[in-house]
Amino acid sequence: MSDRTAPRWLGELQAHFGAVLRSPLDRSTGTLRATPAEYDPDALGAVLDGPRARAAERLAVYNRQYWFRLFGALQTAFPLTARLLGHWRFNDYAGRFLLAHPPRSWDIDHAPEGFETFLAGALGDDVARDALVEAARIDAAWRALFRAPATPPFQPTAADAARLLDARLVPSPACAFVLERWPLLELKSALASARGEAPVPLPAPLPQARWWALVRETAGIRHLPLEAREGELLALLRRRTVRAALAALEAAVPEPERAALPGQAQRWLAKSVERGFWTGLATEPPSDEDQGSTQV
Amino acid sequence: MTTRSIARDALGLGLRIPHYPWLFEHWPEVGYFEVISENFLGPALPPRARLDAVRARYPVVLHGVGLYLLGHAPLDEAYLDALCRLADRVDAPFVTDHLCWTGAHGVSHHDLLPAPYVPELVELAAERAYAVQRRLGRPFGIENLSSYVEFGRSTMTEWDFYASVVREAGCWFMLDVNNIYVSSQNHGFDPGAYLDAVDFSRVLQVHIAGHTREPDGTLVDTHDHPVPAAVWALYARAWRRGGPFPTLLEWDDRIPPMPEVLAELSKAREARA
Repeated sequence: MSDRTAPRWLGELQAHFGAVLRSPLDRSTGTLRATPAEYDPDALGAVLDGPRARAAERLAVYNRQYWFRLFGALQTAFPLTARLLGHWRFNDYAGRFLLAHPPRSWDIDHAPEGFETFLAGALGDDVARDALVEAARIDAAWRALFRAPATPPFQPTAADAARLLDARLVPSPACAFVLERWPLLELKSALASARGEAPVPLPAPLPQARWWALVRETAGIRHLPLEAREGELLALLRRRTVRAALAALEAAVPEPERAALPGQAQRWLAKSVERGFWTGLATEPPSDEDQGSTQV
Repeated sequence: MTTRSIARDALGLGLRIPHYPWLFEHWPEVGYFEVISENFLGPALPPRARLDAVRARYPVVLHGVGLYLLGHAPLDEAYLDALCRLADRVDAPFVTDHLCWTGAHGVSHHDLLPAPYVPELVELAAERAYAVQRRLGRPFGIENLSSYVEFGRSTMTEWDFYASVVREAGCWFMLDVNNIYVSSQNHGFDPGAYLDAVDFSRVLQVHIAGHTREPDGTLVDTHDHPVPAAVWALYARAWRRGGPFPTLLEWDDRIPPMPEVLAELSKAREARA
């Protein structure tokens, strides 16, 4: 590979130029506007006036492109959240997120990483906070499923069966378990074919929260409804050994449900393996990745 | 080394997600497809599966935005490894990227940014491009940018800078005639003088695309319109000067249905006449 070092002045120029690109756009007039008067003077000094525009206006083209391209990337990654907030308000949060966490990767699809966590903090005591956080987590889970590599499903052997109780099932990166308190998955599907930037009304909360397994398949992402206790068990299984998950679920259910629980749990467990929710067995604690955003 | 080839006068299309349903139903006659490398470097299954399906029927070339030949920082080894793997996987006849920088000091701006045109940077970019081509083991083409600024530090014209990098690197021109036109209007130079600096025996591919005119007259390379008449005229001039060469239409925003994009691409034949 090339050993040549770039000249020092190039690094300085790129630092000044980059600062201009990342200058926040002004929102005070109700549209997003570049503010060239506030640009880094060193960047301005390096650029010539042109036949059509002065140096600052020429730099403003890049400044606007930086923000609009990244707003687009975040809107694409969080489409449900963007529509619930409306693009104007969403872009405000996106802009603050990007100022705190500028993109580091050559892959623009990495730029939105962590936005759901940032939004949860930034929403403060917004009346719709819980629903918006749920929406952002669903978007993040969706995105993680799409980006997941192909992994073969767990096909237990006789030896696996013998050690199953004291092992942990390794979650498939192509599967997420979602607890939904607003009908947001349905809304997400409906909005997929409805373009727009205006905020859409938040639907009424569900009478009862419901669990889903989201499974990435060749044709897209499939929603599989789960029974309430089944969802709780699968969520526990992501983080604990099978024995510990079963014990935790048993401790959580009321006395009248306990008698039927072992049979149900066995059925749910078998079904989850058949459906490819796991990739294998592990004895070590779950990694950060295993515990990541794919459980909502 | 690639086993696939593209006809010297082939017409190709930039592969975009909105076209997948129509493409996978009709499999139209297209000389080749170009994909954005970065969209397929990760492990995600759906893009890989779609790329495999396309690659089974058409030659696929790679067009990157993440190399940063003019970046202050050294080339990213992990990125290059992934690019080489992808090029091998699709058996790409060639790979291209831009004569630009994008990231600096740990931040990526996700834009194709210009640098001053000075001999010092010819040497830097050429040495890097040479190394990239060797590592890829297949032709590597360097694309000229559309730009909105000029630097006081520049001591060369853009076309002399570009041609010098390609020549010294032993690489290829990935000539974008829309970019030449956009920059010529923004900076007030003669696009014909630009074409005169190009050694057409080293042109790997020519890009055509549309652009947008801002209220102040600045042209922005948006790839969201049909190819304007002035760009077709420049394309025709390039063809007369150095054709045949593979020609590829890029359409990245406000993307119309695929038949409309294919109809736009076919206008290249008329421009060549």
